[in-house]
Amino acid sequence: MRITPGMTADNAVYNLQQGRSAMETLQEQISSGSMVNRPSDDPLTARQLLDLQEQISAGEQYSSNITKGELLLNVTDTALGGMSELMQQVKKIAGDMVSGTVDATALSGAVGNLTQLKSQLIDLGNTRIGNQYVFAGFSNSQPFDAAGNFSGTDDALNLEIAQGSRVATNVSGGNLLRGGSPPAPVGSGATAGASPVDILGGIDALITALSSNDKAGIADGIKNMKAAGDQIAASQADVAGRLVRMDNMKSMIANNRNTLQSIYGNLQNVDYAKAGVELSQQTTAFSAALSATAKLTQLSLLDYMN
Amino acid sequence: MGISSIFDIASSGITAQRLAIEVAGENIANVNTPGYSRQEVIMENRPVGTANGFPLGSGVQIQTVRRSYDGMLQQQIVDGNSSYQQNLARQKALEQIQPSFNELASDGLGKAVDNFFGAWQDLSANPSGSAERQALLSRSQTLVDTFHQMNQSLTTVAKTADNNLVGISAQVTDHAKNLALVNTQILATQAVGGSPNELLDQRDLLLRELSEKVGISATLASDGTASVTLAGGEQLVAGTSYATLYTNQNAALPPTNDIRLSALGNPPAANNPAGDANVTATVGGAGNGLGELGGMLQVRDSIVPGYLSKLDEMASTLVSAVNAQQSAGYGVDATTGNNFFAPAGTGSATIALDPGLTAAKIAAALPTATDPAPTSTGNNVNALKIAALQQNSFAFSTGSATLDGFYSAVVGGVGIDTQGAQNQTAQGASFLKQLNALRSSNSEVSLDEELTNLTKYQRAFQGSAKLINAATEMLDIVLGMVR
Repeated sequence: MRITPGMTADNAVYNLQQGRSAMETLQEQISSGSMVNRPSDDPLTARQLLDLQEQISAGEQYSSNITKGELLLNVTDTALGGMSELMQQVKKIAGDMVSGTVDATALSGAVGNLTQLKSQLIDLGNTRIGNQYVFAGFSNSQPFDAAGNFSGTDDALNLEIAQGSRVATNVSGGNLLRGGSPPAPVGSGATAGASPVDILGGIDALITALSSNDKAGIADGIKNMKAAGDQIAASQADVAGRLVRMDNMKSMIANNRNTLQSIYGNLQNVDYAKAGVELSQQTTAFSAALSATAKLTQLSLLDYMN
Repeated sequence: MGISSIFDIASSGITAQRLAIEVAGENIANVNTPGYSRQEVIMENRPVGTANGFPLGSGVQIQTVRRSYDGMLQQQIVDGNSSYQQNLARQKALEQIQPSFNELASDGLGKAVDNFFGAWQDLSANPSGSAERQALLSRSQTLVDTFHQMNQSLTTVAKTADNNLVGISAQVTDHAKNLALVNTQILATQAVGGSPNELLDQRDLLLRELSEKVGISATLASDGTASVTLAGGEQLVAGTSYATLYTNQNAALPPTNDIRLSALGNPPAANNPAGDANVTATVGGAGNGLGELGGMLQVRDSIVPGYLSKLDEMASTLVSAVNAQQSAGYGVDATTGNNFFAPAGTGSATIALDPGLTAAKIAAALPTATDPAPTSTGNNVNALKIAALQQNSFAFSTGSATLDGFYSAVVGGVGIDTQGAQNQTAQGASFLKQLNALRSSNSEVSLDEELTNLTKYQRAFQGSAKLINAATEMLDIVLGMVR
C-alpha cells in the first residue's frame, strides 16, 4: 500500500484523539468516583442504579415514617404507664374500703381521692403531642370532657412502615377508657369484671357505691377496677408490641439499606487501583504515540536533498 | 538522418521533462488541497523512423497527464458520509437531551416524583399539620416545574434542529450551484480538447460535501459531468442546471420548517412555496437516515416527540390518578370533590396545580365508619391512599409499570439511544477513515515521491540539455571541416 504523509497525519490525529478520549473517560471516572456518569455510559447498569436509588430513598421515607410513629406510640405508652399507676391506686383505695368497718371520714376521703384519680385519668386521656391528641383517633380536638364523655373517633391512625404494611400509631381513647363507643355497660353482680370495661363509668359507679356504703356495689367495683387494670395493661402490651414491630422494621430497613448501598457501590464505585493502572497504561501508550508522531512527521526527503 | 534529428530528440526530451517537472510542481503545490488527486505524466516514445537501415525512435512525447482516481471508492465515501453525518447529528442532539434525564448525577424528575409521594407520607403522619401541607404544596410545585423544565429542554433541542434545517438546505443549494458551475466548466474545457483533471477533483469533492449534508445519488455522464438526485428521486443537479433546496414555514402549531425543492434552472426560478415540491418526508432517506439534514429531521420528528410523548404519558397518568383520589377525599375545610392538579393540564408542558388548590383543600381525609363525613382533621386515610399510588402499577404504552419504574425505563431508553448513536458514529468515523486512507493511498500527493520524481525529471532534463551540447559540438566540428 502506498502511504502518503497526509495519511500519516490523519492517522496520527485519529489515534491521538482516541488516546485522549480514553484518558478523558478514565480521568472522569477517577475524579467523579463513579463508573456510570450518565445513562449512555452503561444504560443497563444505569437502570439498575436508578432502581437501587429508588429503593434506598423509599427505605428512608419508611424510616422517617417509623420515627414519627415511634414518637406517637412512645407518648401513648407513657400516658398508658401513668394510667396503669393510677389504676393501682384506685384498686388499693377500693380494696381498703371493702375490708372491715370503715368510718364515714375514710369513706368521704376515698370518694375525694377517686374523684381526683378519675380527673387525672381524663387528663392523661387528653395527652397530646404537638397538635395531635394521641387518644382522639381522627379527631383533632380534646377527646374527653371533664365528665369523661368521649368525643374522638375510634379510627386507627395508620402509617406505612413498609410497602403495603401499615401500623396504627394510636390507641382509641373510647375503647381504652370507656370500653367502646358508646360506652360499655358498667358490670354489676354477675357481669362485674367482664371486659370490655367502661373504666371511667366504673369509677363513677364505685364512687356512688362508696358514698352510699353499698358493700355489694363496692365489691363489684373492685372486680371492675381489676378488669380495668388488665384492660390498660393489655393496651400497654399492644403498644409495646407495635413498638417492637417498628423497631424490627427499622433495623430491617437499615440492613436492607446497607445491602442496597453495597450493591450500588459495586456497580457504581470506581476501583481506583484498576483505574489507576489503566490510566498509567493509557498515559504510557499516549506518550509513546506522541513521541512516534513527533519523530515521524519530521522525516522528509527535503532534509537530505541539497 | 542528420545531426538536426539529434536536436529534435533533445528538444522533445527537454519539452517532456519540463512538462513532467511542471506536473510534479503542481502535485507538490497541491499537497494539502482537499480532494486533489495526484497526477502522473505518462510518456511514450515518438514514432519510429529508419536511419541507415535501423529503426530508431524520434524522441519522447507526453501521452497523457493521468489523474490517480478510483470511482468505486468515491461512491463508497459518498454513501459513508451520508450515514456518518446523520448519526453525528443524532448523537449531538441526544447528548443535549441526556443531561435532562441524568438522574445519576443530579436530582431530576424521578426524585421530584419520590419527593411528591414522600410529602404525602409525611402528611399521613400528621394530617392536620399545616407545615406538612405547605411542604406538600411546594414539593408539588417543584414536580410541576420539573415537568415543564424537561419539556422545555426537549422542545429546545427540537427547535434547534428545526432552525438548523435552514442553514443546511442553504448549504445544499450552494453546493448544487457550484456543482452546476463545475459541470459547465468541464464541458467548456472538453470542448477545446483540454483535460479537466482538476475540475473532476472539484466535482468529486463537491459530491462528497453534498453527501454530508443530504442523502444523494450521483450519476456521472461520459462527458464527466455529474447529475444528482435526492433520496426521494427529485433532481437536484442536472448537467448545468440546478434546483434550490429551501425551508418554508408550515402552518402547524407551533410552526416548523418544511423543505421544498424548486424547479431546475440556471439560475433556478424564484422560490414558490405554493408550487414547489415538498420533499420533507423523503429528503432524509428511509427513516431520515441520511445526511445531516436527515439527522436533524429525525431529531425533530421522531426522537424528541418520542421522549415528549413518554413525559406526557407520565404527567397525564399522575394527574388523573392523583386527581381521582384527591377528589374522593375531604380537605380540612370539609370540602370534597376538589382537584389537586388542573384537570386540563395532562401534558408535560401544561401540567399545573389546580388554581383552587390551597393547603386546606389537600384531601387527606376519607369517610370511615366512625368518621362518616370527615370533619375530623386527623383523618389520614386518603393521604395513605395517595401515598400508596407510588407503588401502584399503571397501564402505560410500554406495559404495566409504576411511575418510578416507567421513568427509569425512559432514562434507560435515553441511555441506550445515546450509546447507540455514539457507537454508530464511532463506527462510521472509523469506516470513513479507512475509506479515506484508501483514497489517500491512491490519490494523495506524497512529497517524497514527488521530490524523487523531481530529481528524476531534472536529471533527465540535464541529460537532454547535454545532448544539445553534444550535438552543437558535433555541428561545430562538421562546420570546422568545411572551413
